[in-house]
Amino acid sequence: MAKPVKLGWGVRREGRSGIWTRNAVKGISVRGERRKRDSRIEWRAWDPNRSKVAAALLRTNNDPTGLLPEPGATCLYLGASYGGTVSFVHDMVCGSGNHLEGQIIAVEIAPRAMRELAALASQRPGLVPVLGDARLPHTVSPYIRGKADWIHQDLSMADQAETFVKMAGAFLKPGGAGLLSLKAASERSSDGDDDTRFAKAERILEESNLEIVERIDLAGFEEQHVVFHVRKPVD
Amino acid sequence: MRIHFDWRLARVIDSDGNVIDELVWSGKRSVGALADRLAELQSGRLSPEARVLSERFSEAETDHLGAMSDPDWPEADGDEQTLLAEATDRLARRGVADAAGDLDRRLDMLSSAASELRASWTTSEARCVEWAGLFLSEADLDAQRRDIPGAVADADSIDGAAEALGIPAPEHQPSPAEWDALRSHATGVVELTGRLDAAEDATRELAGGYLPTLSMVVGPLGAAKLVVLAGGRERLARMPSGSLQVLGASGAMAAHRRGAPPPKHSPVLFSLPQVSRSPRWVRGKISRFLAGKCSIAVRVDHFDGEPWDEEQIAEINREVDAIKARFPKPPKRG
Repeated sequence: MAKPVKLGWGVRREGRSGIWTRNAVKGISVRGERRKRDSRIEWRAWDPNRSKVAAALLRTNNDPTGLLPEPGATCLYLGASYGGTVSFVHDMVCGSGNHLEGQIIAVEIAPRAMRELAALASQRPGLVPVLGDARLPHTVSPYIRGKADWIHQDLSMADQAETFVKMAGAFLKPGGAGLLSLKAASERSSDGDDDTRFAKAERILEESNLEIVERIDLAGFEEQHVVFHVRKPVD
Repeated sequence: MRIHFDWRLARVIDSDGNVIDELVWSGKRSVGALADRLAELQSGRLSPEARVLSERFSEAETDHLGAMSDPDWPEADGDEQTLLAEATDRLARRGVADAAGDLDRRLDMLSSAASELRASWTTSEARCVEWAGLFLSEADLDAQRRDIPGAVADADSIDGAAEALGIPAPEHQPSPAEWDALRSHATGVVELTGRLDAAEDATRELAGGYLPTLSMVVGPLGAAKLVVLAGGRERLARMPSGSLQVLGASGAMAAHRRGAPPPKHSPVLFSLPQVSRSPRWVRGKISRFLAGKCSIAVRVDHFDGEPWDEEQIAEINREVDAIKARFPKPPKRG
């Protein structure tokens, strides 16, 4: 077995496609993923087939560390769903008992998903579940403790790029990183085929004050999806 | 001049960054009170303190995002952080619980349960009648259809079932194991009939109150189906009648996205008796007409209009008959 490659605090890659995070809640799998012990640390398998962020880590041509938040960071996660990916971000940003003092605002509009997310949050201090519309800044502003170091948006609705530009404009710290998971099928069919829709989203990002670092195609893990890695320039 | 605020306090800040006025939440800080406050803030309203300050300084601009990037903003202490975490959790759970107060979601569960029960009832009932009918060769499978599952379920043997139906005992007997399976299948059908009736009655009641006008136009079950397909009453009310017309034709709509011709009709509207009992060549005309009426009806229901009365419904039915009268013969193929 090749030596694990460290991708950040509490995140490592083993072999070609194994990504593991340091489990903040020992003994518990969030959605049935594998766990393994390595002396006193427990690692949790982050499946790139089920998480677009994990898939982006494997597909990026740059240093994958740049895609991830630092421990103790303030993070905004729009479209948290049942909290699968959120839990891995929590592992590396907050850690056990939030000893890293991170904050993750996880916004989700569906009460069904929020039910699981709220249960997850009570096991994981630092994770803030917010039931509301992720397209509106005042859904986030009462909870977030300051500007965010890292934003991820994964919404299944039209105008994803416009929403991302608006929310990153309001909440992302200069120098902060943003990931936009774009699902072609969620955009309007009148906007043309998948490539046209991705190109349209790319143009919206280019015309904003965000800087596109990389466009990561997730083909093989998640069809018709791309992840845009952006950075907010320091002015 | 700007007003920055969060759940704890509000400040008026001038253009040089000086704090001109400040109000701190002085009420009793409990988890419930803070959850209420967060709900207000989250819906875009000001905190009570910010509201007072904005009345006091009418020229000051309120800024929801100001406190977040204000370098002089006081840090939350440990107690405040704990309280915020608890209130956030309370609010999220309250939101989950409040989903049950949403009639759209309730109607979705009921109407979907009714449709699923209807689908499985149709299959099971047909199997039960055919199965029992195989043995009971003298039974009238049309006239006695409704009685067969009950007669089999209540009988001790196939002969008993025949007696209950008033027909001669059959020539061939099922084996004991076969009879047990047949009877428990029939018991299932009887029970399924009860469940289906309960689900449909409850759907009728809920839809009749929530969608009174639309229920009168297309029946309460049809009205419920349209709302469920649209994803809620408001979405149906805001939908153009052209979209309503093809609601439910999702397969055809998906094909249309790939270049096929657009779907012409909604299966919900097309299964209405006004449409399905009409001659083939007027069905499209009637369903387009009804789609227009439905889209007005749901707007009446959603935007608190005056519900239609019997006379207005009768007028719609007269119009349907007029369409049929205008096209008595199929169009000539040319």
